[in-house]
Amino acid sequence: MFLPLLVATLVSISAMSLHAASSDVFAYVEKSCAGCHNGSVKSGDIDLKSLHSAKTFDEDREIWEKVVEKLKLGQMPPPGIPKPEWKATKAVTEWLEGEFARQDRTAKPDPGRVTARRLNRAEYNNTIRDLLGIDIRPADNFPADTPAFGFDNISDALGLSPALLENYIDAAERSVRAALFGPEKRKPAAVHYSAPVRINDSRGTRSLPKDLSRYDETGLSTLHSAHFVHRFPVDAEYNFRLVLNGHRPNQSEPARPALYIDGKFIKEWEVDATDLEGQIVEVRARVTAGEHLLSATYHKNYHGLPPQYGGPDPSKRPPEALINPRGKLSEKDIETLRKYGTRIKTDGIETRIDNRYEAIDIGGPFEQTMGAPAESLKRIFVCGHTTGKHVDACARKVVSHFASRAYRRPATAKEVDQALGFLLLARKQGDSFEEGIATALQSILVSPQFLYRIEREPSAVAGRNAVPVNAYELASRLSYFLWSSTPDEELLRLAGEGKLRQPAVLEAQVKRMLRDGRSSALVENFAGQWLQFKNIDVVRPDPQKFPMFDDALRLAMRRETELFLEHIVREDRSVLDLLDANYTFVNERLARFYGIDGVTGPEFRKVDVSGTNRGGGVLAHASVLTVSSYSTRTSPVIRGKWIMENLLNAPPPAPPPGVPPLDEAKAGGGTLRQQMEEHRKNPACASCHSRLDPLGFSLENYDAIGKFRAQEGGAEIDASGSMPNGSIVRGPGDLKKILLERQDDFVECLAEKMLTYSIGRGLQHFDLPAVRQIRRETAENGYRFSALTLAIVNSVPFQMRRTPDK
Amino acid sequence: MIITKKALSRRALLRGFGTAVALPVLDSMTPALAAPGANPTVSPARMAFLYVPNGIIMKDWTPKADGTGFEFTKTLKPVEAFREKMIIMSGLDHYNGQALGDGAGDHARAGATWLTGAHPKKTEGADIYAGVSADQIAAREIGKQTTFPSLELGLEDNRMVGGCDSGYSCAYSNTISWSSPTTPLPPEINPRAVFERLFGDGETTDPAARALQARQDRSILDFVREDAARLGADLGAGDKRKLTEYLDSVREIERRIQKIEERNTDSAKLPAIDRPAGIPPTFEEHIDLMFDLMTVAFQADLTRVITLMIGREGGNRTYRSIGVPDAHHGLSHHFNDPSKIDRLQRIDQHHVEMLARFLAKLQSAKDGDGTMLDHSMVVYGSSLSDGNRHDHLDLPTLFAGGAVNRIKGGRHVRYKKGTPMTNLFMSMLDLSGVRPEKLGDSTGKIEYLTDLA
Repeated sequence: MFLPLLVATLVSISAMSLHAASSDVFAYVEKSCAGCHNGSVKSGDIDLKSLHSAKTFDEDREIWEKVVEKLKLGQMPPPGIPKPEWKATKAVTEWLEGEFARQDRTAKPDPGRVTARRLNRAEYNNTIRDLLGIDIRPADNFPADTPAFGFDNISDALGLSPALLENYIDAAERSVRAALFGPEKRKPAAVHYSAPVRINDSRGTRSLPKDLSRYDETGLSTLHSAHFVHRFPVDAEYNFRLVLNGHRPNQSEPARPALYIDGKFIKEWEVDATDLEGQIVEVRARVTAGEHLLSATYHKNYHGLPPQYGGPDPSKRPPEALINPRGKLSEKDIETLRKYGTRIKTDGIETRIDNRYEAIDIGGPFEQTMGAPAESLKRIFVCGHTTGKHVDACARKVVSHFASRAYRRPATAKEVDQALGFLLLARKQGDSFEEGIATALQSILVSPQFLYRIEREPSAVAGRNAVPVNAYELASRLSYFLWSSTPDEELLRLAGEGKLRQPAVLEAQVKRMLRDGRSSALVENFAGQWLQFKNIDVVRPDPQKFPMFDDALRLAMRRETELFLEHIVREDRSVLDLLDANYTFVNERLARFYGIDGVTGPEFRKVDVSGTNRGGGVLAHASVLTVSSYSTRTSPVIRGKWIMENLLNAPPPAPPPGVPPLDEAKAGGGTLRQQMEEHRKNPACASCHSRLDPLGFSLENYDAIGKFRAQEGGAEIDASGSMPNGSIVRGPGDLKKILLERQDDFVECLAEKMLTYSIGRGLQHFDLPAVRQIRRETAENGYRFSALTLAIVNSVPFQMRRTPDK
Repeated sequence: MIITKKALSRRALLRGFGTAVALPVLDSMTPALAAPGANPTVSPARMAFLYVPNGIIMKDWTPKADGTGFEFTKTLKPVEAFREKMIIMSGLDHYNGQALGDGAGDHARAGATWLTGAHPKKTEGADIYAGVSADQIAAREIGKQTTFPSLELGLEDNRMVGGCDSGYSCAYSNTISWSSPTTPLPPEINPRAVFERLFGDGETTDPAARALQARQDRSILDFVREDAARLGADLGAGDKRKLTEYLDSVREIERRIQKIEERNTDSAKLPAIDRPAGIPPTFEEHIDLMFDLMTVAFQADLTRVITLMIGREGGNRTYRSIGVPDAHHGLSHHFNDPSKIDRLQRIDQHHVEMLARFLAKLQSAKDGDGTMLDHSMVVYGSSLSDGNRHDHLDLPTLFAGGAVNRIKGGRHVRYKKGTPMTNLFMSMLDLSGVRPEKLGDSTGKIEYLTDLA
């Protein structure tokens, strides 16, 4: 559909290969390619003319793979050079692909070799959490890990600098001490969050629900509330000061500001005023260490309004006559009003319901909970723990157990002896047993065996180029793939018993790990980077154009995508749901934003979207639509590129040198669409843009923060584009159809990205057979997520390691 | 996002270091500034490299006249007070920032080229390759005398996922410091982390606590070294490289510990600063706090080489405080739209206003017999001139400071076409007594820096 050539299946490859032979390929190359790709011109540093021996398809495989790619995408021959008959091109590419498949069948599988992988920030945080039973995220302040191939867990890109090693030393100390002795005593400090001003949107009645008798009475989903995620350093009491702003109509009942933490009600106040600016309410509450969502809201915001607002439970306060937007106040009126409002505006009658928050200040910690967490002591002191009552025999057991967990394999006697040296030292210095243990544990957490996942070099085996990684290494590969964390006791036990490789055991373990809560790391770290929806945290849509985009909406957008992906992972749904699903997850705020009726309250729930314009799949998620837009407007080019790159595995090449970038927003240059059509007249641009643009245009009904729109600036949105083959794609429905027709490409794309992430290295041509195998196994098992995961886990690159070159 | 009220007062204190009020504290440090073996009467020259991304509106940057009689342009106006302490340099090029057959990716190349002069390898994978940067060449030599050979700082976290610039690794646009052609040094953006690195992670800068810490770190490093040695034998070649990188870092930290211990015996008093709470919510507060830390690090002679990326190359910071809500990189492709050019110029000028704050801090910090500014070499600039067209030639460059009274300021120098930017760095290195054979595409030292009557 998209390009007829691309939907060729393996079956047709072998059938078609009868129609061409290597001599036809050489003839085709001579005629259509060698004009530029020859020994003297050598365009793109490629000389195809010299490749005509029978063995070239074997020996120069990488070049020929590139040829196939360029031909299939129609990028070669370039515009200006006569295009060969498409049938000839098709025959050539299919013959070459058949030839590659033949080679792959006979070649020994090559799993490649992953170099030692340093724990990245997410892995370090999770590993510390699982080892020590404390969630203090010490790596959040480490320098960012350099990504490669789209992911930040690629071994060759994860370098180590002295500054980072210092961070590791420091983090080891903080973590171990927090686990053994409790958190360090913190001095109180104040943190200020200012709420975004949304006066434009909340002025007047625009933000009022159509039906005031039915709305979210907690206010957590309305624009009047403010939400912040705050990381609390320690378990303690904190002071929360809410600074109010905005107005309530005269004659309203008092406003009811309220505070929630993680959706749990903390306190409600009453503030009787028409002008809330600068009013302050405060409460002190005990909070556990870690991230919590703070929500400042107004309860029953549309209750108790003057009767003419038509809300529930209207105000019984006099004087009704005052409520006249253009009226002037008499002295008597003012006096009456004063009785009913601690602060009122006297220059006119207040009619706005734009009460909101100016800021939240968090002060603390106070009354900090001291002492080591029981869970941490249990995990570390495997002999049991009573301060001052440790027997020396336990020291070995404690250190050995911890080192084995930290190194993800049984620690050797030598390693344990060495770490025990710190206990002797502590005793000599008159320090406690616990102090000695602390230093021993800290050293273990700075050891290269902890900081790196090092796989031992297999010895060369005659006649074999690869051997399986050992069972402990496999356990680590599994846990860092699915959990971004260290293997748990069960995985290590199965590895130790030699059972982990048994197919039934392995399958059961993979399924267990996917169901486990820790698999949210796969959503966050793999999918967050693959689909780039993590960027929703950092994008900044223009507040003038998109005043409704606040942190609550930002969080809701991200949560939708996370819940959707977690649903696919945990419920073992088809991966094709990513492209097309009749469900998604929303709360009231997001539902209102999407125009989905019947959702009240801040909790997310699964909703059927089949009858709506949010026709399912990640391409209808506001998160994805926002991160693939500019801050002020949509970009069909970025969205088109996003689809090609992330869903179809066909990243468009960078624009050729010397081509001026498209100025999509040039003043007076016609509509965006007209400018892009102009741009496509340049043949150098057209070869890519004719593919990118129509895909992007089909999503034009979603604006730059993913809100549905039928019009823009008074003009009807044209969400159509014409594909290179002449077919018209109109709207997200057509786009979905195109993508589903190319589901093989999609699954192969997903397989490639996920394999890259799982083994932590960029894929090479010798990995392609494994990728195709993963795609086939996934398809054979109904595209279930667990089938894809298992196929990756069972693949040669995941299971094995290349033996050293001789 | 987070800054405490307490930190505000701490920062006020920190700012005070540049002022006369706090001078007694600084004076008490002065003996420590002269490193053992150095000539005690000569203060060392400090080097700071400040990078701004996405090019500059050149018509509002470049002074019309050359020589001493030039007038400050609109963009440069904020630093006019330091006229006699600076040289505006025009005509310096980064030939290697250009495509040279590699196609798009000028932002990545700009970042990677600025201090290296090397043409970076086009790759999104792990096989990145640029060159050693000028600051790191300096750090290798003059850094031996300080606790920290260099500091690499930034103001913009790269939390964006996905590719960076057209087929180039993010490393090229995220950093300007390279300790080897394959080792980018990621900048630290959190002032709190910078503080803890400089002064330890205690609430204060008490030397006894730091010494105890140093001893413990040393025993841990002994442990891991032994551990690593056991490992060495059965590793593959790639893994051995990783281990070498690890052991090199261990050695560097041990060297630092030794420095700290030496200084402690010297009873050196560090300035009494409390640690910042984190990353301040606004760009202006953030850069100000970094400037404070940079100034103090120079004053306490904890390092003599600092790089600061005011923005990531190709970065998209918005500047709402000056009424520019547009993303910087997007805006930099202005296509000669006057209103966009105007907004870009405002960003440029805002950055120069920030620079003025830094120069003021250095100016009011006393150092030996002069001011820190007299004893520094500050380079401020971008590796793109016209951001709209991605021009890597005639780069906007401002040199400030006296390099220990060896520079004559108050000039706008126009270098002849084709003068490599790296020649400036070669001259600066030379002034610091560091004499590498070459730096990137350098052809020698720059003229008219010190060789003036």
